[in-house]
Amino acid sequence: MKMLRQNPLTLLGLAIIVSILLLALIAPLIVPYDPNAIDVKAILLAPSKLHMMGTDGLGRDVFSRMLYGARISLMVGFVAVGIATFIGILLGAIAGFYRGWVDTLIMRIVDVMLSIPTFFLILAVIAFLSPSIWNIMVVIGLTSWMGITRLVRAEFLSLRNREFVLAAQALGAKDFRLIFCHLLPNSLTPIIVSSVLGIASAVLVESGLSFLGLGVQAPQASWGNILTDGKEYIQFAWWLSLFPGLAILLTVLGYNLLGDGLRDAYNPRSHQH
Amino acid sequence: MMMPTKTTRLIQLWLVSFSVTLISACGSTDEGDKQTSGPDFNMAYPPSAGGTMVDAMTGEPSGLIAMIAGESAASAIAGNIFNSLLKYDKNLDLSGELAQSWDVSSDQRTITFHLKPNLKWADHQPLTSADVMFTWLKVTDENTRTPYGSDFKLVSKAETPDAQTFKVTYAAPYAPALDTWAGLHILPKHLLKDQDINNSAFARNPVGSHYYKLTEWKNGQYLKLSRNKNASQGQAKIDHLLSRIIPDKAAQFLELSADNIDSMGLNPIQYARIFPSRADLTKNIGLYKELGNSYSYMGFNLKRKPFDDVRVRQAINYAIDKQEIIDGVLLGLGEPVASPYKPGTRWSNPSLKPYPYNPSKARALLREAGYADTDGDGILDKDGKPFSFEILTNQNKEREMTAVLIQRRLKEVGIEVNIRVLEWASFLGRFIKPKQFDAVILGWSLSLDPDQYGIWHSSQQAPGQFNFISYNNPQADKLLEAGRLELNPEKRMQIYHAFSKILLDDSPVIYLSAGYGLSAIHKRVKGISNPAPAAGIGHNTYEWHIPKAYYRNEMNDQ
Repeated sequence: MKMLRQNPLTLLGLAIIVSILLLALIAPLIVPYDPNAIDVKAILLAPSKLHMMGTDGLGRDVFSRMLYGARISLMVGFVAVGIATFIGILLGAIAGFYRGWVDTLIMRIVDVMLSIPTFFLILAVIAFLSPSIWNIMVVIGLTSWMGITRLVRAEFLSLRNREFVLAAQALGAKDFRLIFCHLLPNSLTPIIVSSVLGIASAVLVESGLSFLGLGVQAPQASWGNILTDGKEYIQFAWWLSLFPGLAILLTVLGYNLLGDGLRDAYNPRSHQH
Repeated sequence: MMMPTKTTRLIQLWLVSFSVTLISACGSTDEGDKQTSGPDFNMAYPPSAGGTMVDAMTGEPSGLIAMIAGESAASAIAGNIFNSLLKYDKNLDLSGELAQSWDVSSDQRTITFHLKPNLKWADHQPLTSADVMFTWLKVTDENTRTPYGSDFKLVSKAETPDAQTFKVTYAAPYAPALDTWAGLHILPKHLLKDQDINNSAFARNPVGSHYYKLTEWKNGQYLKLSRNKNASQGQAKIDHLLSRIIPDKAAQFLELSADNIDSMGLNPIQYARIFPSRADLTKNIGLYKELGNSYSYMGFNLKRKPFDDVRVRQAINYAIDKQEIIDGVLLGLGEPVASPYKPGTRWSNPSLKPYPYNPSKARALLREAGYADTDGDGILDKDGKPFSFEILTNQNKEREMTAVLIQRRLKEVGIEVNIRVLEWASFLGRFIKPKQFDAVILGWSLSLDPDQYGIWHSSQQAPGQFNFISYNNPQADKLLEAGRLELNPEKRMQIYHAFSKILLDDSPVIYLSAGYGLSAIHKRVKGISNPAPAAGIGHNTYEWHIPKAYYRNEMNDQ
């Protein structure tokens, strides 16, 4: 924690994340308008006192939609990464612990998955399933577990023959106990770092999908689909592109700063300076 | 073989609903801004020949034989190069183009076209009935990959008694026949007779008989047309038409602002919001709007419950506020419609009125149909199932926004709507053809003939055919059949008025709006009809002219 405090950028990242999380959490309490309230008499109004971030093509308040969009974007990030982390830990632990042909098999699956351009795979899958927020979270999760699998496996391989593990094994600990009580707690650091960075990319993927119209479906707001709504009017309704763009940028930046900071803080080799 | 007709022409037009056709001027003559720095484009000049007009199109034609290419970009360019036997005049009445006159036999099965004398192709070869015969043979040839064949396959016998006469006989009277001949470009036999029309070099190097001929085609950049000295219809005024390929509407708009193009189609935002706020644009560029030949609608899958119940369909119709859609999505640049015909034309029944927005009537009808909110969740239900359905549409901003507005209004009467936006190919292939949908928001673009057999007749429900909503009403069927056999315009009008009435009462689709075609044309182009006749602003492009004083530095442009 001390390392964290010494790095102002990490703190900035943390501050950004916490404030966006907070805003998303209390969105229903602070939104000035119903995010889906249509007003065809107030179409595409520029930012003003009445509408902090202006209104969109159907006269909906962009600020309110941004706040609700934050909930969607962040939820997609967390759930998708949750799924990816779960799968990653499970497969990585099996591969690293049992080694042999199980390891070979899992690693080859990882190689195959890594060789597929993920975004296009997601596009194809979403085009087949109906695009909904749940499908998106699951699909992003199911296509982004490979990095964590590799990390966990590598950690397990190096920890597997350490004395404390051998000792535990000699005392008769079952595989399950070895994996979850001894090996996993000692591999948590890289998993956390990788997950935090993963959230950033999940937020990006969701925005990208929504931008292409395959993400969160109307009338629900997400940053990606506010952005895509704004594309049409970019020449004179700049607020429809600027605010969601900034929000995506800040969130991804925040997670990346935090992730990098965490990595540096826990990396023994970066302790020197 | 008796193929359904007309339908083929409809599908390619389907995509381009809200396409822009040039028409009726409004507000192009305002004298507002007097502090001009550049030339004053409001001065009047006598017509003179010369100059270049530059316009923009979003897509590049695949070729310029319209019957093979099929896309609207090809038709737009080819329409300046090729003639048909007949054309629609400025009042939308049929008149001769290559044909000087035509006779219909007393049994209404035979049409004899008399060609104008001394017609020539752009390469000086004579244009005769043999070319017309050749074109008919090609369009009906099984080896020709054209979607337009079915209309012409109804011709049981075609003859050329002499070089000026072309005679077709139909197995039964076919009312839309003349309309079909107004849409078929006549091709030169002497250049195409030994060629595979599907892959002919002629498609990129066409020789026609109309006002212009193609002089240059730079892939991905532009097509340049120049005046045809042998034109069958006299000489156009403007020397060159340059069509630049600019796929993005926003980029086109920037080019228009920079005075690099003279005309383009606008979307409602550009027309109603951007233009009025830019004095530099309104000073030099005229705005035009016209009611297009298309409308948007929400169609039900009539094979699915509960849309087989007319009360439910009517209730939904009452629950949707069409004016709100016109105001919100089209920024007021559209009209409500009550029949599948262009308002104000002969075929549109003037006594029909759109369903007014009336949510309480909608609720009453739904109650009558057995729906009630028994569990108090705000959503109506019947037999324990909530009333919830999915609206499908393609990736089209205006349709997506329409869907959101409908979703909101239907929720107010207790119907839950989900919206699903799909890419066009999978929309057609996975949902429309196998009829896997509850409701769709789409548009129809229509030809000038009122025959809509392909869209509404109960026999046209097979996968890939156009009655994908499965509309089936024996009375409507009878009228559609009668309308194809009746050549008397008055009687024919009565038939389609009656048909429209049935359609409105049945409400198999909810008419949402007919949007205006919006366009901008630089004021250097003179001779544009104002106000425009029924055929629209584009009816007399051959009379448009650019005064010498207003020539742009054309050689530098390209």
